[in-house]
Amino acid sequence: MLRKHLGVGLLIVLLFTAVAPAFAQEEVVIRFFHRWPQEPRNSYFAALVKEFQELYPHVRFEVDYVLNDPYKEKIRVLVSTDELPHIFTSWSYSFAQNLVSSGRVKELSEFYAENADWAKDIMPAQIDGFRVGDGVYGVPMTIDGKAFFYNKAIFEKHGLQPPNTTDEFIALLDQLKALGYDMPIMEGLMDAWAVSHYLGTIFQRILDPAVMAKDYNPATGEFTDPGYIKGLEFFRTLTEYMGPIATAIDHETARNMFAAGEVPIVYMQFAEIKMLQRTGFNDFAFFNFPAFPDGKGNPNGLTGAPEGLMLAHNAPKEAEEFLKFIISYDNMLRFVEADGQFVAIWNCLPEDLDEVSLAAYNLVLESDEVVPWLDNAVNITIADIFMRGGQNLAIGVTTPEEVMAQVQKAAAELRKATNN
Amino acid sequence: MVRFKKRYNLAPYLFILPALLMLAVFIYYPIIQNFIYSFFRFSAFSPTKTFVGLDNFKNLLEDSVVRTGLVNNVRYAVISVIFQVFGGLVVAAILEDKLLRRVAPLLRVIYFMPVVISISVICFLFTFVYHPTVGLLNKFLELIGLKSLAKPWLGLPNTAPFAVIAVSQWQSIGYIMLLFVVAIQKIPQELMEAAEIDGAGRFRRFFSVTLPQVKETLFVTTLITVTGAFLVFNEPYILTRGGGPGTSSITLAVHMYLSGFFRDNMGYASTIAIVIFLITGVLGVLQATLFRTGKDE
Repeated sequence: MLRKHLGVGLLIVLLFTAVAPAFAQEEVVIRFFHRWPQEPRNSYFAALVKEFQELYPHVRFEVDYVLNDPYKEKIRVLVSTDELPHIFTSWSYSFAQNLVSSGRVKELSEFYAENADWAKDIMPAQIDGFRVGDGVYGVPMTIDGKAFFYNKAIFEKHGLQPPNTTDEFIALLDQLKALGYDMPIMEGLMDAWAVSHYLGTIFQRILDPAVMAKDYNPATGEFTDPGYIKGLEFFRTLTEYMGPIATAIDHETARNMFAAGEVPIVYMQFAEIKMLQRTGFNDFAFFNFPAFPDGKGNPNGLTGAPEGLMLAHNAPKEAEEFLKFIISYDNMLRFVEADGQFVAIWNCLPEDLDEVSLAAYNLVLESDEVVPWLDNAVNITIADIFMRGGQNLAIGVTTPEEVMAQVQKAAAELRKATNN
Repeated sequence: MVRFKKRYNLAPYLFILPALLMLAVFIYYPIIQNFIYSFFRFSAFSPTKTFVGLDNFKNLLEDSVVRTGLVNNVRYAVISVIFQVFGGLVVAAILEDKLLRRVAPLLRVIYFMPVVISISVICFLFTFVYHPTVGLLNKFLELIGLKSLAKPWLGLPNTAPFAVIAVSQWQSIGYIMLLFVVAIQKIPQELMEAAEIDGAGRFRRFFSVTLPQVKETLFVTTLITVTGAFLVFNEPYILTRGGGPGTSSITLAVHMYLSGFFRDNMGYASTIAIVIFLITGVLGVLQATLFRTGKDE
């Protein structure tokens, strides 16, 4: 009897061993690389990874993350190798174009078409930042805008009004200075990208869009328009109101000074609204970058380009599913609630959205033109000269003419390299 | 047969073969490859390279950032030799003095402690020390009534390079000091005693006995410090976000890195790498010649 039972048992075990592999799915590894080691985003993505693994138990993740600048450097290296992560974050416009030029980023037109029901929730204008040639190479995740935030209490106390033109803006800064605010505006110029955010908007406001389109193209860029000098001069004027510490602090410190009421105005991204609110400071409003009286660019353009996700050319099917999982209405809503930054999904807003955030969201949607960050809009060598040049202007060791001479030289080399 | 074995004994060569292979693959091959790359313009994104001849070298000569980087590297070298090598020697001599024999072990640990801390952590700590509004340094100056000397140390072109260099001194002096402590401990006690009997004071003993006896360590530490000064990367990269403000605190290594991995001009970065290689190589040979030794006499 015992032998019979033992035989049946053995038979079951043998059968199970033989049949089990047919049912078990082969393990799939997804390499995911993002640029948000800071909270609450890191925990948010960690939770998403865990939830996705519960849905797809055969998937194993290798997640890596580094901050902003190191991310730019690391992804540039990775994209030139076969070690490119399967799914990774990317800025739009020229940054995306550079990554795509490696030939290792997956073209997603078909993916969008196959998943039309999922894609209909995404704002089409934000997808444009990931178009290269006839193809689409990314899915936008976050959207943003940049504006001057001001301390409402200070403005109300002194009867000040947000300016409409740059002349009014300078007059306002003078007024604040006369009222005892030694640093009426602040920026963390130690962060070179902060310089590029200023210059990108200034050039867009001043220059003829046709000139900008020609210059921002590496094959045709000359940068000879006098508007650039004027723009750099205006930037230098603004830095004079920031005091000597601007080049010794980062943007986060400038934001904290604003939150502490030490400076009345700061140029900030809408993504930072929640960060300000977390400090307990809520008495602020914002105004778009003022128009230059004789500027040729659209004064209603809003600086701020989307950031999104890309897939490697060899990404497994599961990475595509993970991409859809991240950029889904429910998960994006959780993201907005946790982080505060707006996303490229229609009407993806928490019910209890505050007044300032709602106004910011509406400004993003209503702006006539998306102005990309300068370091995303032009070739990185040109952007770097502008960023370093901006810092040098702030510390008084160079002139706008010298900066433009360097830019023109680099543009000539770039033209030569691109057209060869 | 025996003669053949003697003449063609391969064993020694086989023993050094692995080391030679490792050197060839990881040192000599990359150096040669880097030299070849310097004649091309290419991007990390693209698999193709464009031959540009000597264009990168021409650009290098016209590049004002290279000059700034070189000046900062020389500043590093000079200041490091003064503070780390001579400072380290003086500290080691003091710690080895009879008067401090009891507390010397503790002081050695205190001086050496910064060496074992990661440079990233140290730079992060020093961003708080140098912070213009809440930094320890400015607060200290304020406390002792020298508020007028308070500055945005990392934000001014004339203070940023020196503020960055100071961090390296703070970190590395302990390491050099320890090398000198070992060298001083190796000095035969009879020499010191003889000098003492002859009536030599502390200074005389230092210059006439200690200094000549630690000549070899002096050579090694100077070589380490000077070549290290031309390879400095972490401190300006972290403290002043890549050599800012502008390029005032940039070094050649940072410029090389940014040219390659930020501006995506790998060929030009290779050209800067050649300059760094040549400078450190020449300095090594020069120092070996000047000190006329590479080993104990």
